Amino acid sequence: MAEEVEIKQSVMAADEKIAERIRNKGKEKGVLILNLIGSPGSGKTSILEATFKAADFKFAVIEGDLATTRDAERIAVLGVPAFQINTHGGCHLEANLIEGPFNELDLDNLDVVFIENVGNLVCPAEFDLGEDYKVAVNSIPEGSDKPLKYPYLFYEAGAVLLTKMDLLPYINFDMELFRKDVIKLNPKVPVIEMEPVNGKGIGEWVKLVDRWIKEKRN
Amino acid sequence: MHEMSLVESIMESILEMKEENNWDKIRKIVLRIGDMRQVIPEIMVFAFNTASKSTPLEGAELVIENVKLRFRCRSCRKEWGEENMAFLCPFCGSMDVELLHGMELEIESLEVETKNG
Repeated sequence: MAEEVEIKQSVMAADEKIAERIRNKGKEKGVLILNLIGSPGSGKTSILEATFKAADFKFAVIEGDLATTRDAERIAVLGVPAFQINTHGGCHLEANLIEGPFNELDLDNLDVVFIENVGNLVCPAEFDLGEDYKVAVNSIPEGSDKPLKYPYLFYEAGAVLLTKMDLLPYINFDMELFRKDVIKLNPKVPVIEMEPVNGKGIGEWVKLVDRWIKEKRN
Repeated sequence: MHEMSLVESIMESILEMKEENNWDKIRKIVLRIGDMRQVIPEIMVFAFNTASKSTPLEGAELVIENVKLRFRCRSCRKEWGEENMAFLCPFCGSMDVELLHGMELEIESLEVETKNG
């Protein structure tokens, strides 16, 4: 006998439970969790390096890459605790991959955990890792049309970091269009212009993270 | 290509339900997926047909109900669709806009065969 059964359950129910455990632990420990999402080469690791130089808060980094430990090595050399997750071809991180490394961190002595997602604007935006905010990283050479092409990321983002501003004079990047499209998707999101390699604009970013840490602990 | 991850997650949930409820066979799986989720239905079906081979879900039909974007202004209460993809109200200019539909990503229903039928 055949029958129809109503389910109405989220497709990602199992992973959402793990994400919730991570979020609860972050809350209990007063540790801010940020999920950095952007294209390959947009400057995610450079932002973390620049953040280390400019910030007073203590942080650790969980790196997601298809292969190699290069990003984690760049972070570890600064003395910042860094974990590398290799997804072996997987295009994004999921909460079940994060939980192990997250639990190994010395959360009592940290203010922030940055998760640097696999370079990709589509899939990483879909998966809740237990973060407080997703942070969208968009570099000038990628062009100004990305927000509407990848709306989900920009809709969900707690901040948009616009990197490689020094290349603006050489590239056909329509700043007005970019800002208008970001506002369409996410009217209140801060857009921070920066040049991570030389540290320009990083101060504003660090201030925002400081504010988020305070808000989380209140 | 997050469709394969979604398929794995769906299969895991449904196999659990099958076990719990003692269903004999799953004939049909209906999903509701909103446009904001960037899922390509053809890839999803292909991923499911591939991943379900040699599992108890082999042969089940995967049906995807697409849900279009729908916005509503909290100020003037008017609604609009994907023709104006924005969290700015085209009627009164308010930024206080909510996404009513488009975020769906759920297993809506199943058609199952029960053992003692």
